[in-house]
Amino acid sequence: MSGADRERLFLKNAAIAAAGTHSVSDPRDLPATLGRVVASDLPVYCPGVTELEKAAAALFPVRVDDYAAATVTVEEVFGAVAETGTIVCVSAGGRAVQAGLLPAHHVAIVRRERIFDTLDDLFAAVSGSPPTNITLVTGPSRTADIELTLAIGVHGPERLDIIVA
Amino acid sequence: MSHEQTSLAFRENTVRALEDTALRAAMKQAADTFGTKRADAFAPVADLEALRDRASAIREDVLANLPMYVDRFVASATRAGATIHRAKDASAAREIIAKILSERGAKRIVKGKSMVSEEVDLNSHLEAAGMEVVETDLGEYIIQMEGESPSHIIVPAIHKNRRQVGRLFADRLGVPYTEDPQALTKIARKALREKFLSADAGVSGANFAVADTGSLVLVTNEGNGRMVTSVPPLHVAILSIEKMLPSLTDLPAFLRLLPRSATGQTMTSYVSVITGPRKAGDATGAKELHIVLLDNGRTEILAGESRDILKCIRCGACMNVCPVYRTVGGHAYGWTYPGPMGIVLTTLLTGMEKSHPLVDASTLCGACVEVCPVRVPLTDLILGLRQRKVRDRFSNPRERLGMEAFGKAAASPGLFVLGQRLAGAFWPVVRALGGKDVAGRMPAPAKTPFRRRLP
Repeated sequence: MSGADRERLFLKNAAIAAAGTHSVSDPRDLPATLGRVVASDLPVYCPGVTELEKAAAALFPVRVDDYAAATVTVEEVFGAVAETGTIVCVSAGGRAVQAGLLPAHHVAIVRRERIFDTLDDLFAAVSGSPPTNITLVTGPSRTADIELTLAIGVHGPERLDIIVA
Repeated sequence: MSHEQTSLAFRENTVRALEDTALRAAMKQAADTFGTKRADAFAPVADLEALRDRASAIREDVLANLPMYVDRFVASATRAGATIHRAKDASAAREIIAKILSERGAKRIVKGKSMVSEEVDLNSHLEAAGMEVVETDLGEYIIQMEGESPSHIIVPAIHKNRRQVGRLFADRLGVPYTEDPQALTKIARKALREKFLSADAGVSGANFAVADTGSLVLVTNEGNGRMVTSVPPLHVAILSIEKMLPSLTDLPAFLRLLPRSATGQTMTSYVSVITGPRKAGDATGAKELHIVLLDNGRTEILAGESRDILKCIRCGACMNVCPVYRTVGGHAYGWTYPGPMGIVLTTLLTGMEKSHPLVDASTLCGACVEVCPVRVPLTDLILGLRQRKVRDRFSNPRERLGMEAFGKAAASPGLFVLGQRLAGAFWPVVRALGGKDVAGRMPAPAKTPFRRRLP
């Protein structure tokens, strides 16, 4: 699969899973997209560790250090899977995976070169010595426990936005 | 609360279920929805049969080498920092978990959905020990509030309609009545968020355990599984020994099959792979992780003729297509696991003497075999258990007598003719004795037997 096909398939499948999908071809466009996606969802939690996160954090003056108190988490994630439209969050490097779980809105930035074709490719890459936590996230939190009717935002985020950069 | 097994009263349970119009409507709607969603989810999968073969072969390998995989899991998980406990039976599992929790002074427990915890009746035991146990899966939360047990292994409150849930929440949570599932979900989110943040411990199950890495895999949608396993400082996971997979590279096959089979989703919202507790430098994970591996008769099942049931990955597809389950719902089966897989597991785990009416709760139509993602030969297993039921003399004595007589007569032409004549002559007596049973409703034998009518 070519890089462009892989990204297209990933974005298509993520959208099917009810994630908001965005793509920036030039890193300089990231702030504008982030500003639009986060909009008035404040306060923001952003780990500010990776280069992309540092750029993102600078955009939001109203930030909190405690993700449990945030309305939105903006973070760069480990990778993604095109086959299923999934983003992959890992605990390696001291990252709090649950920071993408507690706030109502999760904004995940994924580098396009970190998109795996399939689940097999992902697990082949992490099967040797996995970190404490690997979480695959496909769309927002959901349930169909009442009359099998889909409801969004049970215990996890009711909104998931993915930005490929 | 504790739930007594009522499988012996299966017939009475079904009569009650059939009279429950709300239940019948809920089951009808569920059956229709499940059928469509599952078919849609599998439609784009080009090599489904090859995928099922692969998953089935992995599960067969696990069963063929189960003690080895369990040992490997124990070693890997221990290396990753988890503490492993082996529980021989339900009471051992309850004791172990209660001890872990009470030794650490845990009072407030949040629980993720776990059928194995239902199997060992964990909640009532922990509550008796003075702990507050809150089920956090929306369906489990609803039935816990109602004092019921799950009627489906994936959708525990499938037997309830939105109006019943709305009234329950209004009564018990003091919120204004609503029957909008989205609004009801928000109410539960708010009520349970406080529980997560103040919990002393989380108790979860696991869908798979990975032998090579000692990882637990949880496949969920709501996010409560993630909360339970990562927010409280202590995480106790209970799972049965057959949930092993050799390696993480085996997982994709099951991630492609399980959500599609269970809920008709291509992928669930969340899949968590947890390897040990929080380590130095980590900001994720419980500080302490205890894993309770439950046997509860599985080693014995593994050595017997019904071992293939241990391939089951608990997707619930077999019940969704079963004409019996779809009509009477899950509570009629009278124990933890309903539907075709439930018939087999209940009989094996609780004993024929406590469950024998269940083995007749199948038409052997084979719909379950057709949908099973890991090719569990459910109808063969149910048929095998029916033979055991007769062998162990749990079948209806009149039925047994009739079958034995027929067996003798069918082996001898003279006796057969005599039998036909006697049956004809004594039919009114047979019918009267039969009463409401099948014999009482059978048509009378023909005056002239068929073979004498042939030229």
